[in-house]
Amino acid sequence: MNNERLKRITLGLVIVVGMACAALMVRWTDTLQPPVDPNAVDDSLYLNDKTARRMSLGFNGLAADWYWMRSLQYVGKKMNNYQGNIRLDDLSNLNLKLLAPLLDTATTLDPEFIEPYEYAAVVLPAIDVQQAIRLTEKGINANPNAWRLYHQLGYIYWRQGQYQLASETYARGAQIPGAPAWMEAMTAKIQSEGGSRSTAREIYTRMYEQSTDNQVREMASKHLMRLASLDEQDSLRKIFAGYRSRTGKCPESWRELAAVFRAGGIPMDQSGAPLDPSGAPYLLKAGACEVELDWKTTKVPLK
Amino acid sequence: MDEQLRTLDTAEATTHYEKSKPGGSGSLWRMSAIARNAFREAVRDRVLYNLVLFVLLLTAASIFIGELSGGQERKVIVDLGLSAMLLFGMFIAIFVGVGLVYKEIERRTIYAVFSKPVGRGEFLVGKYLGLCLTLLVNVLVMGVGVSLALLYVNRGWDPLIPTIWPAVLLIYLELMLLTAVALLFSSFSSPALSALLTFLTFVIGHFSADLKILAISLGSTGARWFFTGLYYLLPNLSNYSFITPAAHGRTPAAGFVLATALYGLIYITVILAAATLIFSRRNFK
Repeated sequence: MNNERLKRITLGLVIVVGMACAALMVRWTDTLQPPVDPNAVDDSLYLNDKTARRMSLGFNGLAADWYWMRSLQYVGKKMNNYQGNIRLDDLSNLNLKLLAPLLDTATTLDPEFIEPYEYAAVVLPAIDVQQAIRLTEKGINANPNAWRLYHQLGYIYWRQGQYQLASETYARGAQIPGAPAWMEAMTAKIQSEGGSRSTAREIYTRMYEQSTDNQVREMASKHLMRLASLDEQDSLRKIFAGYRSRTGKCPESWRELAAVFRAGGIPMDQSGAPLDPSGAPYLLKAGACEVELDWKTTKVPLK
Repeated sequence: MDEQLRTLDTAEATTHYEKSKPGGSGSLWRMSAIARNAFREAVRDRVLYNLVLFVLLLTAASIFIGELSGGQERKVIVDLGLSAMLLFGMFIAIFVGVGLVYKEIERRTIYAVFSKPVGRGEFLVGKYLGLCLTLLVNVLVMGVGVSLALLYVNRGWDPLIPTIWPAVLLIYLELMLLTAVALLFSSFSSPALSALLTFLTFVIGHFSADLKILAISLGSTGARWFFTGLYYLLPNLSNYSFITPAAHGRTPAAGFVLATALYGLIYITVILAAATLIFSRRNFK
């Protein structure tokens, strides 16, 4: 047997034995991966999550980022074109019919990408509440340990007035290891107080603290300002009632109450008008014992 | 001048190492001479210029992505940086890999090489190692680039920095495998066809898990055996995709990295053996 022949036989053996070893290695690495879901076999010829990820040839994270940024730009562009005041959680006038599919695609490509689920939970309820619930539940299924998503799903139910479901969702989220104690407290609060102002304050405060999205934080901050303003207006009405019981009439101008405001440490402008949480003066309905936000100057949302 | 250098490089390098190193006839020395020469040639071909493009891409991303991503710039930088690493690496592996042997044949420098006591297998492995060295420099510099971008965006240490390196290792292993495939195709085919076949291998490699699902769902035993065979035969590249989990701060288990590395090395050995077998049957007379 000459040298060349020996070399070829050796190379042939390396190929055969090597391929056998490679096949064995594939079997081994398969055991290190999650098992194939037998229920997924039926629809394997259609585009499921895993196939969509593979179709992106390992670039699925980047593709998800692109869809996420596209979603933000889609909403941002429509908001810019809209004439008038608009809030992130009430974009029903903008005809955002592509938003749900965009966020759905982003989360299909990268199911661990939490922000699109959170964005869906805040923006979609006003457009299509069923899509909002479906996307958030999709996020919970893909990330069962992400307690923040239970907070978002609870928020959707709370906004719909489904306090029992909201309370149950917060209770489920509170059981996740690492979930903050306020999740448990929220369960009881919604159960007992439902849609109270205090519950709303708690929800938006937590949303402001937890969200990494500036738009969501700004929306939560505006809600908190509005809640603070409602509390302030109640206090002012109490002051009007006191003034009325003393003088028998409603105040005609803020100056008449300046001493009371000063004593109570209520911030005022130069005309003596109390300031709302955005720093704009409140409007007094002269002679009616009523107060309202000045829609021309205030940054507090009117509704 | 460059052209002359290229023509002389491979032959001169092997001669030089034969003369200067103790035990210069050793196979390892000859392969290392060819590998170093292949690396030098890649550098001279301005292959590493892609790093400049990569740095510009990341710098722009670091500055502008924050505005567009709604506070997700760290995730986007990792996704973008590691995806660019895989994409640029894939292009280098394919387009440089398919030309490694072909250029030597076309310029006829291969005759000068084979007039020395250099085996065809040594030549192929040497060329392969040279391109792997080029890719190693490439991914290391890009990995450092992504880390620096994260430092810049986070204004300090970022916990994502250590989590990207296992993903970088898996990308490098995938590129090594792809380079071997490119070399195999180029050992018997034209560069254009080799590039196409290597790219298709990259695509199919990421779909290989679907072959298994397809095999399970088929009723015919023959078809099931066929697709199961294909699943085991084709490189399983989806195991090397860890970019997206890395962007979420997740790292692969050490056992998984070890298994995929071992699988990659076995597969590369098989491909290089097949390439050597085919290449050794080619007639250059």
